Amino acid sequence: MTPALSRIWFALVTVFVAATINFFLFRVMPGNAVSALRCRACTPQLREALLNRYGLDTPLPEQFVRYLGQLARGDLGISIASGRPVWQEITGPLLNTLPMLIAGTLIALVLGVISGVVSSWRRGTALDSASQWTSLAFYAMPTQWIGLLVLFYVAAAIGLPAAGIQSASLGVLGAPSMWDLLVDRTAHLILPALTLGLGSYGQYAIIMRSAMLDTLGEDYILTARAKGLRDRDILRYHAFGNAMLPMVTMVALSAGSIVAGAIVVEDVFSYPGIGFAAVDAIGKRDYPVLQGIFLLLTVAVVMANLIADLIYVRIDPRIRSGRVAVG
Amino acid sequence: MVASPSGERAVSAPTRRGTARRLITGNRQTVAGLCALGVFAMIALLARVIAPTPVNTQFANGFSAPSAVHPLGLDGGGFDVLSRLVHGAQTSLLVGSIAALVGMLIGGTVGFVAGYFGGRTDGVLMRITDYFLVIPDIPLMIVAAAVFGQSLTNIMIVIGLVYWASTARLIRAQVMSVRQRTFVTRVEAMGASPLFVLTRHVVPQVTPLLVANTVLMVANAIFAETYISFLGLGDPSVVSWGRMIQDALDQGAVVAGAWWVVLPPGLAVTLVVLAATIAGQGMEDTLNPRLKVGHLAVRRFRVRPLHGALDRP
Amino acid sequence: MSAAVGILGRRIVAVLAVLTLALAGCSKGSGGGGDTDNVLTIGTTFYISTLNPFVGIETQDSTAYSMLYPQLVQYGPGLKIEGDWAESWDEAPDGRTITFKLREGKWSDGTPLTAEDAVWTIETIRKYADGTTASTAKVLAGVASAEAPDPRTLVIRYDQPMGPALANLEQMYVLPKHVWASHDTGEGGSGLTDFKPEQQLPVVSGGPFTITKYEDKGTTVFTPNPSFYGPKPHASAVALTYYTNPTAMIADLKAGRLGFVETVPFKDAAQLKSLPGVTIDSQPGNEVTNFGFNSSDAKKQNRELLDPKLREAFEYALPREQIASTVFGGEAKPWADILSGWSGDWVNPQVQPLPNDVVKANQILDALGYPRGPDGVRQVPATTGDHAQPAHPMRYTVIVPNDTDYDGHLQFTLLESAFEKVGVQLTEQAGGDGTQAYQLITAPDGKYEDADMFTWYWHPYIDPDFNLGVVTTSELNNNSDTGWSNPAYDALYEKQRTTVDLAARRNLVWQAQAEIASARPYIQIVEANLVTASSTGWTGFEPTLFTLGKAYYTSPRRA
Repeated sequence: MTPALSRIWFALVTVFVAATINFFLFRVMPGNAVSALRCRACTPQLREALLNRYGLDTPLPEQFVRYLGQLARGDLGISIASGRPVWQEITGPLLNTLPMLIAGTLIALVLGVISGVVSSWRRGTALDSASQWTSLAFYAMPTQWIGLLVLFYVAAAIGLPAAGIQSASLGVLGAPSMWDLLVDRTAHLILPALTLGLGSYGQYAIIMRSAMLDTLGEDYILTARAKGLRDRDILRYHAFGNAMLPMVTMVALSAGSIVAGAIVVEDVFSYPGIGFAAVDAIGKRDYPVLQGIFLLLTVAVVMANLIADLIYVRIDPRIRSGRVAVG
Repeated sequence: MVASPSGERAVSAPTRRGTARRLITGNRQTVAGLCALGVFAMIALLARVIAPTPVNTQFANGFSAPSAVHPLGLDGGGFDVLSRLVHGAQTSLLVGSIAALVGMLIGGTVGFVAGYFGGRTDGVLMRITDYFLVIPDIPLMIVAAAVFGQSLTNIMIVIGLVYWASTARLIRAQVMSVRQRTFVTRVEAMGASPLFVLTRHVVPQVTPLLVANTVLMVANAIFAETYISFLGLGDPSVVSWGRMIQDALDQGAVVAGAWWVVLPPGLAVTLVVLAATIAGQGMEDTLNPRLKVGHLAVRRFRVRPLHGALDRP
Repeated sequence: MSAAVGILGRRIVAVLAVLTLALAGCSKGSGGGGDTDNVLTIGTTFYISTLNPFVGIETQDSTAYSMLYPQLVQYGPGLKIEGDWAESWDEAPDGRTITFKLREGKWSDGTPLTAEDAVWTIETIRKYADGTTASTAKVLAGVASAEAPDPRTLVIRYDQPMGPALANLEQMYVLPKHVWASHDTGEGGSGLTDFKPEQQLPVVSGGPFTITKYEDKGTTVFTPNPSFYGPKPHASAVALTYYTNPTAMIADLKAGRLGFVETVPFKDAAQLKSLPGVTIDSQPGNEVTNFGFNSSDAKKQNRELLDPKLREAFEYALPREQIASTVFGGEAKPWADILSGWSGDWVNPQVQPLPNDVVKANQILDALGYPRGPDGVRQVPATTGDHAQPAHPMRYTVIVPNDTDYDGHLQFTLLESAFEKVGVQLTEQAGGDGTQAYQLITAPDGKYEDADMFTWYWHPYIDPDFNLGVVTTSELNNNSDTGWSNPAYDALYEKQRTTVDLAARRNLVWQAQAEIASARPYIQIVEANLVTASSTGWTGFEPTLFTLGKAYYTSPRRA
């Protein structure tokens, strides 16, 4: 199997494993899975009907096969709380989260680049230390706490909306213009994205710094300097460019952790995205929705990792021949 | 939340004697980090003694700014924030340590077995490990916590069960490298049993790295606990720092402008996580100076497990 | 500093700054002409779950339905029953017939609104009362038949006199026959519950508004229905926005983005009173919080909790004032009745809360024979005979749901400390949301075997019938969370229900309340205030009519 194919296979199997974990978690719950089903004024017939509807009245192996079949068709089951298909519950929130995640990652990248560049260019000085410590400190802070601080100190000061995704009065008497909608939505996603960015830029700062140090230490930089190339040009053309690849790869690899951050950030800012839907599902113990979200997030993270892998497969000849571990 | 991407690199084998000492004192970072952790541990152990007031005693009906009597003020329920912070230290550190231990036990065992026996066992175990490495940790923890209920014990187990994978990778690589050393092969050739080799030779060489990794895992576990508590999945009957952050939001600290409720628990978590991270990183640096570069990742700086190609150290 | 970093950094900062300022400036006050100023934006923490009255059971659902559909009668200012669609009505002396004279009107699609629609609604509800329409059938309890002698007259006949007849009818929403009749299909009329009006906007409406946009967890827009027979709304539209987090709602209120907030978090009320541009209105409300006991004889463990004398001791141990000031920020008062003050004369003035008296509580528990153990926790001696129990300490679990508009966890901490003083140890069990909590409370599978206690609340109706009914045997596995069952009480309840004479019925109602108060399936804790906030640019709000009358949305107007 070529390296590329083997990675794709690995990704598929990982998703399968996650799906299996999902399946068993729900069914090995303490107490009856049925008692988790929302059933008020439950007559025995109603209970039977519910069992049947959720497919919980057949033997376990049969349930598993049916579950896998459903997954293959993209059917994530039915929400216990609302009775609607899980897909329906998830799609809207997912579309809300994506712009926020992208914005958050961009902010993290920008902050990481600045911090890393500052550190590497002024290596060994107080500025370097300060920059590193700051990024480490932010990285060590719980993301929801950063969110609370932003809510506390930043929101009112700047006058940005602190909650939700859209102003209540927008579009009431008629469809809002595209521009108004865009401005409103963007205003609402700035604070959550900022929180996400602050919480995760540390990893980018470190990579930027070390990648740039690596490059700056290489021989051809010395040559460039000797030739009289200005600092700025060296930075822009060589070090910077070389650092970009690990950075981009890091974006893909950090998909897992940014997803966790998004969940709590959306809770703090009441931002109706996928994380918020997860929190809501937790409160309602709506297991199908929770597991649907989990599966979706896993697939996203696995795909991100896969893309990172495939990039490396293409560009690094050492991996092509399958000999070296990637870092 | 791995600390190091060192999964596949060999660590130069330190001598047995003095390893422990070197591990702890060989690096300024480590010393600083461990000291800070020690302080927090002391606070946690002596919580009941040093907390200025009992945790559940109400002093007022709501928020009250810091004063001489209550250095960190009162929270939305009228409880002393400093006392809650101190008791929270106990919970958070307990959860962190035990979850890290659970992770270490599972990960260490898997790593040992895979690294030592190699071959098919290794292949299968590492395959499983890789899946756990890729599956997003916090979401998995959330689902598991939602299912298994909200007792402290369950939380600790859930966290440990999600985080063992990176330790397994690390230990496996180390075990494999140690096992290939000449003196080990010689001892084996002389007919020593696998158990003997394991305990007399492999374990001592690998343990320092395991310890370093566990310290880092404590940081991750405390981090994870704050997430779990914040989402309302924590144990409602104990105070933890994560719970305090949640209470700050729930009790309307933002509207009331009660910064003394918001700042302390987050700062505490940050400091402990920083201390553990620095200590763990310092230890790893001591053991493996070549890895000084590029291993921040309080959270997972995941090395892409190169499928099938990482058997050679 | 190196040039490159400087340039890069400066460029980035500049772009971000411009973007931020531009958006901050633009986000407020966007949206065009004068008419948007006349849109009333309401913030709430209750969401509309569905626009189908046969399905919806959430609080906010009732608001939506009352704005969309004619009700025969409704509540008006002062919480008195007044006519909505009915101009007037006439009750026969034997209490078995009510004749309504209806106003002239049209549905929003131009179809005439006639008594036939009411008859169809009533008959359809009765037809499937055991199945599909079970949740709405309660409002027609006792109804024998309905007829429309002419398009503007409706006659409802009861097979026995019903005391709460009118109050029950207030909760019936008359549906347009020409829209709904076609959905009366499927087994047991299942087509009726499958129909989703939210998929066919704007809703065909007979009330003051129709719904042009619906988002259960977002913003739902109500626009005026020009064919409405009653007083037209002053606002040009009402936008109801749901917030899961009251902090977010308050943030929007502070930023001037909301005209009215339905439930201000109790603890925030004090801070917000000093906010410019915002008026906080606080008045006695109809939220009654309680401390409930599993009172079913099927209870397996800790059966000493079934003893009313022990519960009396527990009531002495209850720190009501402390809870009122800490959990509710002072916006509540100690309370003992199952009804709220809104029920006016129906409330028995002799039912009063016991004072918080730790000494008395300890005395009673000592007298009951529960000595303190070495750790301070009382011991219950073993019992023999039926339902024999081993000796055990007084350690109980309290289920705390998370669907409350006050901090249930905080309230529990106060309870925990208070009960420690009388030698009882309480442990908190997270209850989840309403349905989740109900299952835990009636576990397993509705048999009421496992639970010890819980803390919850009711929003009692004005007419006492419903809330007096939740503790009857017929409500087991439905509205009964305590599992209490007392045949003598059931009989008393039936009697008040079928008594039309006000004075006679009131006596029976008072008797019923006294019974509940002494048996204590619930110990009521506090009656919380209704705290609402409005922007100073608006006036004419009727906060007490929330879910109870159309004036709630129609009377607010620009100041």
